Amino acid sequence: MHSLDHLVTLFFWLAVAALAFGTMRRARLWRAGAAAPFNWAQLLTVPRRYLVDVHHVVARDPYIARTHMLVAGGAVAAMALVALNYGLMLYRPLLNGALVLAAAVMLGGSYLVWQRRRAPLPRLSAGPWNRLPYTLAAFAFGLLALALLPSALLSGFFAALIMLALLAGTAELVLGIGTGGPMKHAVAGVLHLAFHPRAERFAPRAERFAMRSTALRPLDLAAPVLGVEKPTDFRWNQLLGFDACVQCGKCEAACPAFAAGQPLNPKKFIQDMVLGLSGGSDAAFAGSPYPGITLGGHSGGPEEPILPALLAPETLWSCTTCRACVEECPMQIEHVDAIIDLRRFQTLARGALPGKGPEMLGNLRETATQGGYDNAARYHWAVDLNVRQIRPGESVDVLLVAGEGAFDMRYQRSLRALVKLLQAASVDFAILGALEVDTGDTARRLGDEATFQAQAVRLIATLSTLTFGRILTADPHVFHSLKNEYPALGGHFTVLHHTVFLAGLASSGQLKLGATSETRTITYHDPCYLGRYNGETEAPRALLRQIGVRLTEMERSGLRGRCCGGGGGAPLTDIPGTQRIPDIRIADARATGAGLVAVACPGCTAMLEGVVGPRPEVIDVAELLAAALEGQA
Amino acid sequence: MRYPNLLSPFVLNKLTLRNRIVSTAHAEVYAEPGGLPGDRYIRYYEEKAKGGLGLAICGGSSPVSIDSPQGWWKSVNLSNDQIIEPLARLAGAMHQHGAKIMIQATHMGRRSAFHGEHWPHLMTPSGVREPVHRGNAKIIEVEEINRIIKDFAAAARRVKAAGMDGIEISAAHQHLIDQFWSPRTNFRTDDFGGSLQNRMRFGREVLSAVRAEVGADFAVGLRMCGDEFHPDGLDHETLKEIAHEMVSSGLIDFLSVVGSGADTHNTLANCMPPMALPPEPFVHLAAGIKAVVNIPVMHAQSIRDAGQAERLLESGMIDLVGMTRAQIADPHMAMKIRDGREDEIKQCVGANYCIDRQYNGLDVLCVQNAATSREATMPHVIAKSGGPKRKVVVVGGGPGGLEAARVARLRGHDVVLFERESTVGGQVNLAAKAPQREQMAGIIRWFDMETTRLGVERRLGVEATDAMILAENPDIVVLATGGASHMGQVAGWGAASGLSVSAWDILSGRAAPAQNVLVYDSMSTHAGAGVADFLATRGSRVEIATPDVKIADDVGGTTFPIFYRRLYALDVVMTPNVWLDEVYREDGRLVAVLRNEYTEVQEERVVDQVVIENGILPNDQLYWALKEKSLNHGQTDMETLFAAAPQPSLSQPLGGGRFLLFRVGDCISQHNIHGAIYDALRLCKDF
Repeated sequence: MHSLDHLVTLFFWLAVAALAFGTMRRARLWRAGAAAPFNWAQLLTVPRRYLVDVHHVVARDPYIARTHMLVAGGAVAAMALVALNYGLMLYRPLLNGALVLAAAVMLGGSYLVWQRRRAPLPRLSAGPWNRLPYTLAAFAFGLLALALLPSALLSGFFAALIMLALLAGTAELVLGIGTGGPMKHAVAGVLHLAFHPRAERFAPRAERFAMRSTALRPLDLAAPVLGVEKPTDFRWNQLLGFDACVQCGKCEAACPAFAAGQPLNPKKFIQDMVLGLSGGSDAAFAGSPYPGITLGGHSGGPEEPILPALLAPETLWSCTTCRACVEECPMQIEHVDAIIDLRRFQTLARGALPGKGPEMLGNLRETATQGGYDNAARYHWAVDLNVRQIRPGESVDVLLVAGEGAFDMRYQRSLRALVKLLQAASVDFAILGALEVDTGDTARRLGDEATFQAQAVRLIATLSTLTFGRILTADPHVFHSLKNEYPALGGHFTVLHHTVFLAGLASSGQLKLGATSETRTITYHDPCYLGRYNGETEAPRALLRQIGVRLTEMERSGLRGRCCGGGGGAPLTDIPGTQRIPDIRIADARATGAGLVAVACPGCTAMLEGVVGPRPEVIDVAELLAAALEGQA
Repeated sequence: MRYPNLLSPFVLNKLTLRNRIVSTAHAEVYAEPGGLPGDRYIRYYEEKAKGGLGLAICGGSSPVSIDSPQGWWKSVNLSNDQIIEPLARLAGAMHQHGAKIMIQATHMGRRSAFHGEHWPHLMTPSGVREPVHRGNAKIIEVEEINRIIKDFAAAARRVKAAGMDGIEISAAHQHLIDQFWSPRTNFRTDDFGGSLQNRMRFGREVLSAVRAEVGADFAVGLRMCGDEFHPDGLDHETLKEIAHEMVSSGLIDFLSVVGSGADTHNTLANCMPPMALPPEPFVHLAAGIKAVVNIPVMHAQSIRDAGQAERLLESGMIDLVGMTRAQIADPHMAMKIRDGREDEIKQCVGANYCIDRQYNGLDVLCVQNAATSREATMPHVIAKSGGPKRKVVVVGGGPGGLEAARVARLRGHDVVLFERESTVGGQVNLAAKAPQREQMAGIIRWFDMETTRLGVERRLGVEATDAMILAENPDIVVLATGGASHMGQVAGWGAASGLSVSAWDILSGRAAPAQNVLVYDSMSTHAGAGVADFLATRGSRVEIATPDVKIADDVGGTTFPIFYRRLYALDVVMTPNVWLDEVYREDGRLVAVLRNEYTEVQEERVVDQVVIENGILPNDQLYWALKEKSLNHGQTDMETLFAAAPQPSLSQPLGGGRFLLFRVGDCISQHNIHGAIYDALRLCKDF
């Protein structure tokens, strides 16, 4: 049956041509985006990034990990064999034997895909994705039959059937990229891994832990367009990243705003960005819509402003920047960067920041505090604690930077507890006092890069006049900002979150802790900007263990903790949903039977304490430790 | 920032106060013999420092001179160097907790009594007698004036040497300096009398001498009145002039302004405004003074909660808030405001038990807080027990029972509280029915919230029986069942046949007020005057009679004037010195037979209703029913109770039918609110 073999060879090369053509077409859309560094050699990073980094995320769901390994592994092997045996016209039976194996593996995988889609999870998209088990199976079946059956046995009808199956499968595999079908993800995903906007994400593990690549990039304030107005304002590799989405909905399931019924779904957000890139309406979107916004009402194109035609402002301002979506995304897509890019344009070019945001920005510009306070009042809580105020020319080991929380009576309790601990451990420390100005972090999350940079420049100038060893803060937002985002603006400091610093003191014996007298069940809520943003989930837990607390963990904890709702300026933009995010988080805590939620962030404290009705008490780790200080009555 | 003004630091001269909350100078009546602060005195103030206040000014009316007697109010004696060491200990204790401490220094002039101690001849500018203290006094001579000025300076030296943070000179409440100021008491024709400039001379020289002694960097304040409320006294405008003059001398760092003179019974009642007066009744006087001076003004008079204090500061009327009684009631008030635990603040209700005791020469105690000034033995914060967890049954939800339940619960025990009525409060609920006495209910409000917050199992509307109590399988039973009106003492009152009703019947609404009413009050406490006021306010024509020497004789100096203001205004006839012998019915009306204590002459009153306030008889039925079943036969060991030590009986194994039985408050014999609470605290703190 030489003719059949040749037909396959022909098909193969046609498929290669279709794939190449489709990829070129799609690449043209990506390349409409703004410039970003490019180097072909980055393609060499793909195997490692795929097998290590992607697998690390996918492996959290063993079923789909197995499934994908079988389908994709089988398909890639099969295609390689086809390329070899048929593409190069070798037609070796031995290679066909290997092809049988690969196709069988792929067929098995296709069965698992089919199983998965029989009762699909609500986060999965339907539509074209539902045909995947069949087209993949057709491809595998076609190859299997082709390679397994002696050509003599093949009747004309049966041969035609096999060829049809192969054709259907091949079409799914190679036309996806050009037509925007589900298999687009394979090509875009591979290229996205190679040309990822945050290459640091793929650094070796140890290094990656120290630097989780969560810092926002500074915006050139002299640029003609500030942030992203239309899809082509995104950098081309961001556009490519959107195309890598497999619509698995893991981001949707993790998104606190979506859970609270706010009009945001990170999966749909990425798909809307894809729509913007390729043009069209969202009517065909086959997943969960933004809560409260019906499908079909939005459309866009590469040169159309994204807001409000493609994306409602409420969607943009619902994000808490908690990065739960990014943490869950197997395709390593950077949702939050895109959100911030869009916010930058809205805030800087349009002045369209809603809610109490503009008021806060005004306060920042005029008073260097978010609440419009007198900076001199920031350390009023410390006036009777006998603490040193840092002065130029006097050196100190640890400089305490309190943050905006210092104006809040609730958080002053935590700060007082922290000072008590530092004094008990005889730490050489001083407060920044009236010299402190806001880090600008919240302004940055709300897109006001100008105010952020002004604040940062001012704070860096102040800090550079002072002599200190390290900066200590109890606010993860201050921590993240100073540690990760200030270096790009010239501020290089050693910054420690109080839980990390105290854990060090406790383990060295400098801080002598007794046992807690707490008898309630205790759970710990990870602040996003400490956990996900900075990878620090262990220090607070170690401290709690040290005072004899046996933590009862919530289902979503550690790097996968659920946001309190307080990040990203969300309390200021205050987009309504069907419930409040902190209510959901307190429900998480309640489900553990906890009577006490230990926290490590003033924002989380305020959000969780804002939950009305009977609820577990919310206490900062520092407060629990201060109450357990050795020799404490 | 919830209280941006109240909790913001404040700079006085070189001092930084951590917030604006002050405990202003008041007579504590705690000093040891010789006028020295001892352990009790220092602990009392240290507790406030622990509780977070910014500044305490101790030693109200501390005399600088040997001839200004200190023994009457056991005040601090600044007239010799022995004071330095104890003041240094006090200052150390306060500073350890981040608070600042000053002391008031004064010469009382005529405002004292000559008898006692050194039997001095009191001195005043023109020899005018002081009526409240029966202060007969001589005309002060220039030599004495000059000596006293030096005494002030010497006292200031001692205060500074002790490491205190400042000194407040008193020119309020008619002490010697304002005796010179006031045209009511100064008729001199020499350099110290006549023109206002001359009348201010003594005070100015005192301040000059003090400032010269302590130097520029030591905080010196002046307390003064904002209006004496006497037609012949200092009015607000004159006091503004005085304030302006005193401040422009540059000698002082702050002014503390109070309203009202204090040398008559009626004006004295304004000084520590009781609950009948509106909140902060005299802050406008402080604001008026502040308008003419350029230094901080402090004011204290019925500023009781954080919101109120913040409002006064925010409006700019004053710079520092005195919350003195507020912190007698709860020395941890400032900390609770700061830490967001405002609902846990035991708020002063203005019952003036504190100050009324002081004017009787007794140590200051709080009607609702038995730990205040007993810090050495009575805890403000109840620690969890390290011993076995017990089942404690408390019967009776009056102040004694509520305190017992609260304290036992804080000790970590399971507590069941039975209360017959549907609300807690007991007799205090009745006390709060009298006109202008509504705020008494605030005492119960706190206990109600605390016992709820702490998780006391409260069975309201349930009258406990001995079987119900035993069914709880208690380890300890505390009876706080109070009492009932004692109407059967004199058969002739005819209470059994309905000829007379009790004060409780009237206040509770069980008996409607009639047209003409005789109130017979054998107790002379707040209850009798209160029920007379209740009746008269509702339109009854009322006579109140008592065998005591005056109506409301057992009501203290800042409270009886309030009753008198009201009773006179309502034309209530007040008849002291008579006994009620008999009540009988004649022609459908009641005849009450009164007998004069001193002449034995009887007189009759024809009325529609006779209301009797004769105190209470203990409700002790449960006690007798349980006494023999209890391990300790209901006995409280007095040796250990008075020593604030645990009851010996607590060391026995309890449970399984073996229980201890104790009683607190009126169900033993009639005490008062403080007595019931103290009984409960000292007993239950060791459970």
